Amino acid sequence: MVSPIYILIMSLAVGFLLSIIDRAGRKISLTAFYGVLTFNVVLMANWLYRFVFLHVPTLVINTAGFKAPISINLELGLMEAFVLFFANLSGLLAAVYLFKKFKETQVSSLILYLLLIMGANGLVMTQDLFNMFVFLEILSISTFALTVLKKSRETLSAGFKYMIAGGVASTFFLLGVVFVYYFTGSLNLGNLSAGSFTNVGLVSVFLLSIAVFIELKPFPANGWALDVYQSVDSGIVSIIAVVNSAAIGFVFYKIMPLLPSEFLTVFGIAGIVTFLFSNMMGLKQDNAKRLLGYSSIGQMGLLLAALIFTANVQPSVRYLVIGGLFLNHLISKAGLFWLAGIVKQDKIKDWGILRSRKPLLVLFGLFIFALSGLPPFAGFWAKWEFVKVLVDAKMFFVLTSVLVGSLFELIFLFRWFTSVVKNTDETNEQLASPGKSKATPVIVFGLMAVISSFGIMRFFYEFNWIQVLPIFAVLAISLIDSLPSKVKGFLSLAAVAGYGYYIYPLLENNLQMFFGVIFIIGSAINIIATLNRKNQSRGFYGFLLMMIFSFGNLLIASTYLEFFLAWEFMTISSFLLILRGQKAQRASLLYLIFSTAGAYLIMVGFSFAPALSSSGGALINVIELVNLPLVSIIVLAIGFMIKSGSAGVHIWLPEAHAEAESDVSPFISAILLKAGVFGLLMLGISYISFTPSFDVFYWIGWVGVITALIGAFMASFQEDAKKLLAYSSMSQVGYVVAALAMITHLGWVSALYLAFNHMMFKSALFIAIAGVYYRTRTRKMYEMGGLIAKMPLSYITVLMSIIAVSGVPPLSGFGAKWLIYTAFITKGWYLQAGVLFFASGVSFLYLYRLIHTIFLGQLKYEHQDIKEAPVWFIIPQYIFMAGIMAISMFPNLIIKPLNVIAMKYFDSSIQIDGLTVISELGHWNGNLVMYVTMAVFAIPFILLLVLKGKTQKVKQFNIVYAAERPESPQTTHVAHNMYAHFRKALGKWTLPRVQLFWDSVAEWSHTLGGFFRRVYTGNGQTYILHIVVYIVVMYVVMGVK
Amino acid sequence: MISTLILGIALLIIGFYAMLTQKNLIKIVIGFSIADTGTHIIIVSLGYLRGKTAPIIDNAVNAVNAVQEVVDPIPSALVLTAIVIGLAVTAVMLSFIVEMYKKNKSLSIDDYQELKW
Repeated sequence: MVSPIYILIMSLAVGFLLSIIDRAGRKISLTAFYGVLTFNVVLMANWLYRFVFLHVPTLVINTAGFKAPISINLELGLMEAFVLFFANLSGLLAAVYLFKKFKETQVSSLILYLLLIMGANGLVMTQDLFNMFVFLEILSISTFALTVLKKSRETLSAGFKYMIAGGVASTFFLLGVVFVYYFTGSLNLGNLSAGSFTNVGLVSVFLLSIAVFIELKPFPANGWALDVYQSVDSGIVSIIAVVNSAAIGFVFYKIMPLLPSEFLTVFGIAGIVTFLFSNMMGLKQDNAKRLLGYSSIGQMGLLLAALIFTANVQPSVRYLVIGGLFLNHLISKAGLFWLAGIVKQDKIKDWGILRSRKPLLVLFGLFIFALSGLPPFAGFWAKWEFVKVLVDAKMFFVLTSVLVGSLFELIFLFRWFTSVVKNTDETNEQLASPGKSKATPVIVFGLMAVISSFGIMRFFYEFNWIQVLPIFAVLAISLIDSLPSKVKGFLSLAAVAGYGYYIYPLLENNLQMFFGVIFIIGSAINIIATLNRKNQSRGFYGFLLMMIFSFGNLLIASTYLEFFLAWEFMTISSFLLILRGQKAQRASLLYLIFSTAGAYLIMVGFSFAPALSSSGGALINVIELVNLPLVSIIVLAIGFMIKSGSAGVHIWLPEAHAEAESDVSPFISAILLKAGVFGLLMLGISYISFTPSFDVFYWIGWVGVITALIGAFMASFQEDAKKLLAYSSMSQVGYVVAALAMITHLGWVSALYLAFNHMMFKSALFIAIAGVYYRTRTRKMYEMGGLIAKMPLSYITVLMSIIAVSGVPPLSGFGAKWLIYTAFITKGWYLQAGVLFFASGVSFLYLYRLIHTIFLGQLKYEHQDIKEAPVWFIIPQYIFMAGIMAISMFPNLIIKPLNVIAMKYFDSSIQIDGLTVISELGHWNGNLVMYVTMAVFAIPFILLLVLKGKTQKVKQFNIVYAAERPESPQTTHVAHNMYAHFRKALGKWTLPRVQLFWDSVAEWSHTLGGFFRRVYTGNGQTYILHIVVYIVVMYVVMGVK
Repeated sequence: MISTLILGIALLIIGFYAMLTQKNLIKIVIGFSIADTGTHIIIVSLGYLRGKTAPIIDNAVNAVNAVQEVVDPIPSALVLTAIVIGLAVTAVMLSFIVEMYKKNKSLSIDDYQELKW
């Protein structure tokens, strides 16, 4: 097998020859140049293959005919081969990317580039400290010189700062090397260990390690690096961010065994601080490449911390964490830097131009998702395992910093992403074709991201195909995306049916089955409404299927990770669906931020949970044997309640529901929110068997009650029909949460009953409003009115649904109310019952408004010619109506199965006698109630028909002709600001305090970020001062004598 | 050995002081060079053994018992490499300054801070 030392030999030899053979023509020198780079990649690929699959031992290469430590030796093991394969591959691809530059520029650039790659290879393989210094300098000098490949004032000054900083760092490194030799008499890593250094000798390893650490750009001694990232040519900067960082990071890994553990802890914390602060400062950044710089610095900090804090865990996990973070950063960062060179726009807000090249836009999205640590990309798995490691080691400061930093990173990356996708300033500018040489590397890395994620899922976690199905759904639909939208719609319907058929036998438990009905059948019916889509709706059905399959996967998930994976897929797909809405940039971002924060909490909660004993089927079934610790329950509950839109963390909900496309809203509102309920039920099941001393669910119950009340009030004050429905969903799910928090039989029966009822009427309402919006093109209710004459079918749906919501007889809501109040009273939660009762009163306000303002009153002039909603909207509405009627007429249809479900966990508290449900407090016969109500309705109706006199119609806005014509006559109508008097009466209580709170959180983080980044004054001298002070501070903190 | 070590450290500190206080780019590089020289002197002083000669085997040093007669050769070997590298870095720095001066007609580091935050 070819020895890797030939990488060094070939690079040097060809490097020297290049200046000669270049005289024969650039073609020849370019062939030699790319030949060497390709040789490096192939060689390393081969070695990597041998280490991974043939398990060959670590290769030791002695030089100069002597064994180490007499001579310098190199080592190539699995880790080295892994890092070098990807470093060389990035080197080759970046060179391809720079092809046009290399064709024109002086030959010295090619030589420098080869030396740079050689330096990185040598740095990773060498085992000799002084040799390391030499390679470090080769790497640095060639990088310095390459920064001015594009010569401008900015690159020159950035390059100069970089050199000064690098010079200082390498001075310390050299001193460290010499002192190591002085104190131990050896320079070979094989002969050295932490024990080789006495107290006095520690100063030598301190100098050595701090110098490497400075090269890895710790906060705040890293201003020089940011300038380089911002100004230097994208091709070169991708190398600096990826290859240089990887090589120097590996040097740190190699000298780690020399460091005492106190040093390592301090370095680890410094790494985490870097991660947290650079991402916080990134929040304020609007220059694309500088933003990537902040992110790179942060990622290196995270990688270092992971290297240090996973030192004691089992190797396979450690490899996954470090390898995953490394690979993820390498692929996505290089990819994004290359894209930055293609887009050629400094400011993030000008990146909308990327929309004119769809494949590049997809790749951009891919890298952003990967970098943010979303599944299925490598960073996701690394983060999951890392969080687990940190929880097990009880390193909560580090854990919090990792999660908060990641959230900051996600925020700025997705602010960028959503602005690229949605930015509305119409620029008709077309992005010039990037050309093959620039596009190829980006595509290759895009594929690498996908392949590596599938590799991890297939070989590390050995997932079943069903767990990956959501991703395949997206891929499959993208293949047939050119078909008309209706065809894709029917195919999706068939796919959902097939999926339902497949998972049906896997649903062993009635509770799973119940949620299966909500998730799968509910979704299938809602798909019918999407068949109305006229345009091609590219991408829509892929993400829709992804979401629906993830719902189903939640039910059958058998491990924490499978559950979390399905949860994250659900979040991603719903985010992308919401983002499709016309003005959904802000709404979708808000949704993603809150969902991710929730997801992090769920991740932490699962990390606290004890390991599942064996594969005993779905998580929801085995969870009753799992004793969840209190902290786990609390954290998980908050995570789930974010998804169900509980008060305090609900501000994403109205925006997301309202701004999503109108046929997406029913999915988000009627089905997605139930995923949070499902999660809470799961906690409840464990809670029944292992009740902790602190009654968490009592407080969850209160949160539910408050949510119900706030939601109802907020809904009453909305002018926007969809926002009204959104707040109504929040309120209704509040009832569900409150009911299930009782942890009693009747509580759960009523919670599930409410959940089912809500799924049906809220779907129907959202689809009805979708139809109204489709015809009127407005969501403002006061701009509508009198639509009863034009859209009678939609009117009937809305009427029936609001009866079902409000809980007046005879429809299903009445049963729900009867059950829930009975449950509260038997539980003894009287105050909660009172508040909920009040909230029900408030819900009449918004429900009345919905029907009054949209359908009653007089028709607006502009709506004279509109028609009934399209048939695709009517069909699902009436399927849901049929469902509501069925369970209203024959409540046993649902009460009986729910009784059975809850009996698995509690003794039954109700009896079912024929059509009557008997509880401790009384009885309810839904069937009878129905007949009585029908009679009560029918008698006055017939009477009115008989007595119907002459009615005179008054034109609506004739007031305006009396005097001046108001700008917008609709606002003079009672329907506008309908409950102003209540609002006045409530006074300060109606202030959107939660919104204000989160606004100020956002403002504070941005202000803090803005404050801290002032340390980067731009002055090279200040940066040297930072480095010197940093070294002194670390010296003191580590207590080196 | 101690006196040269102190000299080296003093040069190192003077060099850093110059880098931190001088505004002129060339003076900063001179500061760097002084610090670099200080480092080299430290390296040599660490390998010095009192009363021994240079580690070159010639007429003055008998190859058989060279180990007893010469100073530690490794720091001497290292310092040669370090000097060469220091020279290269200094050269690159100075060439940057030349280009910077051509573009901007200024040698003050304060005039090169448009990239920040």
